[in-house]
Amino acid sequence: MLILAGLFLPLFPLSMVFNTVFSRIEKPYQRIVLLMLWPQIGLLLVHLSDVSIPSWVVTWGILTAFFYAFRLLTIRELGLWASFLATSAWALLWVTILHDGESPFYLYALGFSVPLSLLVFLNKELTDRFGAAYVGLYQGLAQTQPRISGILVMVLLAVIATPIFPSFFTMLHTIITATPDSFVTVVLACFVWLLWSWAACRVMAGLIVGPATAFDVPDLTIATTWKYSGVIVSLIILSLILIGGMP
Amino acid sequence: MERLIVLLPLIPLLSVLINQIWSKQLGRQVASVSVRGGVLSFFIALVLLVALLTNSQPGPVSLGNTWGILLADPLSVLMSAVIAGISMIVRIYSVRYMIEDQGYGRFFVLLDLIVASLYLMVCAGDLITLLVAWHLIGVLLYFLLGHDTRSSSAFRYAFWTLITYRIGDIAMVLAAGFLFHAYGTWSLTEIFQHLSTESIPHVYFGVALPELVGIFLAIAAFARSAQFFLHNWLPYTMGGPTPVSALMHAGIVNAGGFLINRFAPVFVHTGGVLHWLFIVGLVTAVTGSVLMLIQNDIKKSLGYSTMGQMGFMIMECGVGAFSLAIYHLIAHGMFKGTMFLGAGNIINEARKHDGVPKEDLYTFVVERRPVRHRQPWLLMAAITLLIPLIILILAHWLVSQDLFQKQGAIVLLFFGWITGAQLIFASFRMRAHNLWKLVMLMVISFAIIIVGYTLISHAFDLFLYPDPAFRQQIYAAADIDVFWFDFLVILVSFITVLGWLARYYADKNKNGVSEHLNSLWISFYALISREFYLNDIYAWFGKLILNAATRLNVLLGWR
Repeated sequence: MLILAGLFLPLFPLSMVFNTVFSRIEKPYQRIVLLMLWPQIGLLLVHLSDVSIPSWVVTWGILTAFFYAFRLLTIRELGLWASFLATSAWALLWVTILHDGESPFYLYALGFSVPLSLLVFLNKELTDRFGAAYVGLYQGLAQTQPRISGILVMVLLAVIATPIFPSFFTMLHTIITATPDSFVTVVLACFVWLLWSWAACRVMAGLIVGPATAFDVPDLTIATTWKYSGVIVSLIILSLILIGGMP
Repeated sequence: MERLIVLLPLIPLLSVLINQIWSKQLGRQVASVSVRGGVLSFFIALVLLVALLTNSQPGPVSLGNTWGILLADPLSVLMSAVIAGISMIVRIYSVRYMIEDQGYGRFFVLLDLIVASLYLMVCAGDLITLLVAWHLIGVLLYFLLGHDTRSSSAFRYAFWTLITYRIGDIAMVLAAGFLFHAYGTWSLTEIFQHLSTESIPHVYFGVALPELVGIFLAIAAFARSAQFFLHNWLPYTMGGPTPVSALMHAGIVNAGGFLINRFAPVFVHTGGVLHWLFIVGLVTAVTGSVLMLIQNDIKKSLGYSTMGQMGFMIMECGVGAFSLAIYHLIAHGMFKGTMFLGAGNIINEARKHDGVPKEDLYTFVVERRPVRHRQPWLLMAAITLLIPLIILILAHWLVSQDLFQKQGAIVLLFFGWITGAQLIFASFRMRAHNLWKLVMLMVISFAIIIVGYTLISHAFDLFLYPDPAFRQQIYAAADIDVFWFDFLVILVSFITVLGWLARYYADKNKNGVSEHLNSLWISFYALISREFYLNDIYAWFGKLILNAATRLNVLLGWR
């Protein structure tokens, strides 16, 4: 059962299954369903297995998280980027499961899945406009597409665990609960966090910054921008109410 | 009264909301909303400061159950007043400075957000609020420094800043983790109470909790205050708008000194960490000053000057002069803020005429023309060595009779003495007919600075740390073994005097400098002009990581 859970709370090399499935499906709604359900199935399996989690699984989890965060640095396709970040983030949940069985894991997983779903939508928006959502292919979106750039920045900040998004509290809780019992795990988790920031900066520098590329494509409509903003603001409010309380 | 502290972060947040929602309708009026908020915040901060000075006893204000606690203690209120003052000036300056910028509205939104985060940081009464604010400042600074989205280089250096700040964030999270694990509370007041009352401290990995937490906090302070090895971002972040540079150099980089003061109850139990603070601060102060001297770009030179000043601030903390560091950061903030905001005008003025008077000082410093006739060297040596010492001892004796019982005070006296002596030593080579006037001017300026500095820092000591026992405890924590202390003082004095003698000898025998020494000097110059090759090493390391990640991805088929 634990091995099966390792497929859904991805442990390398089982994690390759999720990434393959994610890249095979192209419709955004299907990808979003996958992002929402995949970790929840894993958490359910852990809950049903009713066995204590061996510490080696947690070590495996943190190494997987680090491995994918490290590889994330040079991922340029936005869809694959979301998939790798999801793998890295969900693998970290093993640390919390071991150290604090009372945590709201389902919410923690959702806290990563919701902004990643927004990233999937943005991937679609960019692909529809430019043919691909690929870092470095076109630059200077901030000047030509200010709305899409603004939303992209907010979504990236939400997925890399910036305060006061839910993922921030998840990361904080993961690190705090594991300190000092597994100091190496904690240090690795911190590096995972650092690598996410680096990877997100590379995405921003490759898409948003720089001289504008001459493409005559429309920006997001005001209504769509408000919808994205609404989800982001709701995410912050729910994060503060549901998991921002901390122990 | 203390409830007013809540308004400090709330006002800029409100300004952000108004400017974001009605940005189209407001147009360039967004600046006016931001400035009005800034003025109101400044007024509130002053009211709080006055209330505190007139003996009010403020308590914490809690906005949530486990976090969201704000403190209105002397440190918070003083720092809030400084932030309010500097940010208000920066906002007013930006109204016209940024007027032609396309991202005018975005600039003021980001500025208000970072100011709100700064207020949260200095007022935080619990670890989570502190972590949230500490982390947010780095992220917001990244976007402010990269405000010109057309400039890839501005974003590149903004990234350097962010990644260095993230290293400090991680250290802060680890410190918070250990403190929470030990005491089961996020509240800083409760944590400090536990620390002061427990007779046997918690031990992790064979290290006492205060020492361990002190190490992490020191790393967080080093990253934020650009200490050596974590300093490279500072001189290169000039691509951002000038008001951002002013805010950063006047307020944000000083956060290291604030953090050490906030956690003073931890640092009083950490002698070893304080000694490291001193060493790192000293190395940074010297390195920053050396690098500043070789720059030919005024803004980069200011960047390295800030680095040197930050080193000195951390060094002050290392000798136990915590409140002096706060005074230093405020004084430096005002000075550097003025320099940045005035840099444009100075450059503009200098294009018309250099404005440098053709006087002795100019001839000596710029044209490097030493005098032919000199005063008797024994007389000059006595003036050089004795006058600064007398001024320093008298100034410190005025405020504290037990001066020589504090090693920290002696170290700072020593530093002041060398600085003063160096200043007067320089005058030794000036034109003879004006020498006494110059020496007198130097001595008077030096005396005013030292007396003022000593009195004000003493007042800060009484305001920030009213408990004399605690003040004594901080200095005691920074003390080292008396034998080693005396040995180091004698050694450094000897080296300094030897340096002066060598300089005097080199001056007298211009042709006597050996080729070997000359080539050593050129190698040293090459080393500092390449900034110790640190940027190259970091760039090489970054490339190595990215290449390894690419290879792994190719190997695993991007799955």
